[in-house]
Amino acid sequence: MTAALTRPVRPRRRHLRAALLVLPAVIPVAFVVIGGVGTTLLQSLGLMPLVGSAELSTAAFNDSDELLTSALLSLSIAVVSTAIAAVIGFFTAVLIISGNWGGRIVGALGAAAVTVPHLVGAATVGLLLSDSGVLARLFGVAPDAWPALVAGPTWFAVIAEYAWKESAFIALIIVGTLATRITSYDETAAVLGAHRFARLRLVLFPLAAPSLLVASAIAFAYTLGSYEVAWMLGQTYPEPLSVMALRLFNSASLTARPEAAAIGVITVVLTAVVVAAAMLGLRRMRAWR
Amino acid sequence: MTPTPTATATATATATEPVAADAAPSAITLTGVTKTYSAALPAALQGVNLDILPGTSTAIVGPSGSGKSTILRIIAGLEDANGGRVRLAGRDVTALLPEERGIAMVFQRPLLFPHLTVLDNVAFADRAAGLSRAQARDRAREHLELVHMAEFGGRSPHSLSGGQQQRVAVARALAAKPSVLLLDEPFSALDPGLKDDMHAMIAEIRQAVNPTILFVTHDRDEASAMAERIVVLENGQLLQHDSVDHVFHRPASLAVARLLGGKNAFAGTIENGVHRSALGDVALDGDVASGPATLVFRHEAVTSTLRQPTSGADADALATRHADAAACQRFGPRELHGVVTSTVQRGPRREVIVQVADAEVYTEAAPGHPLSVGDLVTVSLPCEALWAVPAS
Repeated sequence: MTAALTRPVRPRRRHLRAALLVLPAVIPVAFVVIGGVGTTLLQSLGLMPLVGSAELSTAAFNDSDELLTSALLSLSIAVVSTAIAAVIGFFTAVLIISGNWGGRIVGALGAAAVTVPHLVGAATVGLLLSDSGVLARLFGVAPDAWPALVAGPTWFAVIAEYAWKESAFIALIIVGTLATRITSYDETAAVLGAHRFARLRLVLFPLAAPSLLVASAIAFAYTLGSYEVAWMLGQTYPEPLSVMALRLFNSASLTARPEAAAIGVITVVLTAVVVAAAMLGLRRMRAWR
Repeated sequence: MTPTPTATATATATATEPVAADAAPSAITLTGVTKTYSAALPAALQGVNLDILPGTSTAIVGPSGSGKSTILRIIAGLEDANGGRVRLAGRDVTALLPEERGIAMVFQRPLLFPHLTVLDNVAFADRAAGLSRAQARDRAREHLELVHMAEFGGRSPHSLSGGQQQRVAVARALAAKPSVLLLDEPFSALDPGLKDDMHAMIAEIRQAVNPTILFVTHDRDEASAMAERIVVLENGQLLQHDSVDHVFHRPASLAVARLLGGKNAFAGTIENGVHRSALGDVALDGDVASGPATLVFRHEAVTSTLRQPTSGADADALATRHADAAACQRFGPRELHGVVTSTVQRGPRREVIVQVADAEVYTEAAPGHPLSVGDLVTVSLPCEALWAVPAS
């Protein structure tokens, strides 16, 4: 029995066994991703019409001006909110890792923030920042004098909501990957004469960079693709891609469905490009290798 | 072994060694250092006083939980002491942060920064101090050469073996130009061959740059190989700080003798320079005070050799042969007769337990003379091996 247990497994059989073991996870993911993206692509190209005959066409992509405006707006919101979330998330993680009482409180708040759904978060931010909201009343500012933070041209409330929620997510990802080893490296750097800022610059940030990049890529992809926050707190025009896609998808006109699918395809392409760039950046990091 | 010319019969602990007022300040001075991690736990350190002279290499030995690493971490500033002062080269650093103390520390794990090459790891201290990358790397190359790792500069830490990583860790610490180099069991995870290489490397480094080294080890052989002085700790108390030879052969207490691996201890009484115990009467060197005392001697210093019985009662009889020259042999016996009751092979050495009268004596078989249970043997006790500590 011992011999059977310890018998070496040939590499090809080992690979086959590993592939079989991950299949239960891969099949549903592949079904949703490939199936969903494939269907969207076919719809956007007129090959899966709800009515009429299938005919290859790029008409759904033809309104390039509006698509470009929406794409730039979506990218702007996603880039700015992700960048803010990354900075806040990194320093929040540093505070949590420090292990003092302030860090523990921030850690608890961060964990609580992650559990709040974006829809609830958006409603909360709206109640807080609108011209008749809590802050305006707290400071005694009349609605006319209060800046247009909600549904205004700066998309402040949308960006603030995404930055708040995603910073907590990014912080917890970094803490999760660094918590068990960062203290040792930090102490090592300290006894080599490195002051606090040098340790942050030369040790903490480079070690956190892979998880920071991955978490930021996830946050970016989510922000670009989600609609509810921008739909609740943003302007009605121009619309981000996700909001426009939702509106067109729910449109009474069945011919608008290919246009909604086209926006979905564009969103997927933009996300894929950013995620691919992040993965390339990750491979170049020595700390990741 | 160097006998103590004026040894006292009952040794006194040399916990601190006062430094003359006009002498250079000690590299490390601990005064009444106390550390408690929790009120529910016993103190990790209890009023430790310690002076480490510049340019020396000192080992801290003691059982697990004795406070060895805590001393190092308090000197480094990684732990705050609850009481007492820490001085480095005469400067009170008790309230300073680790990075302000001018020390460097190597841990049990090499902890090389995984995002830096070997060369950049060694250049780390200079980079942190503000030097340019090129300058820092130039200096780092010199330190890599010191540890014979110059050709590995471009490699990633994870591509090195454990021993190579620890060499780089030592080079990185030296590159910080520390006034004191602290080593916390740095070679404990290495195999014996690699350990020997590391000891040789440390000897080379000491010749080249002569840093003050304070290191923690649980390996007595390593302590004696790397240090000229040993600090013995137990339960947070400093039991003895002395030369390697004295700690092994002139222990301050029975606890020190036991902690350093001494196996022979015979409780008895000293009268007129002779220790009386189950072992018999054993004369001691020097000016010895009378009173209760425990006779100790290292088993490695005592050899058993086969002998032929001369009479039926000879096997368990004490020899009464007297030497004629040395003062320590006024009364004898120095050669005991006994029977082998057990043997244990330890590497190239054979440990032999001999029943002598009512006592068991741990000895070693003379090279080339394998002994078996039941053999009649002569146990030779060199005068210099004998030492008495206060009765516990």
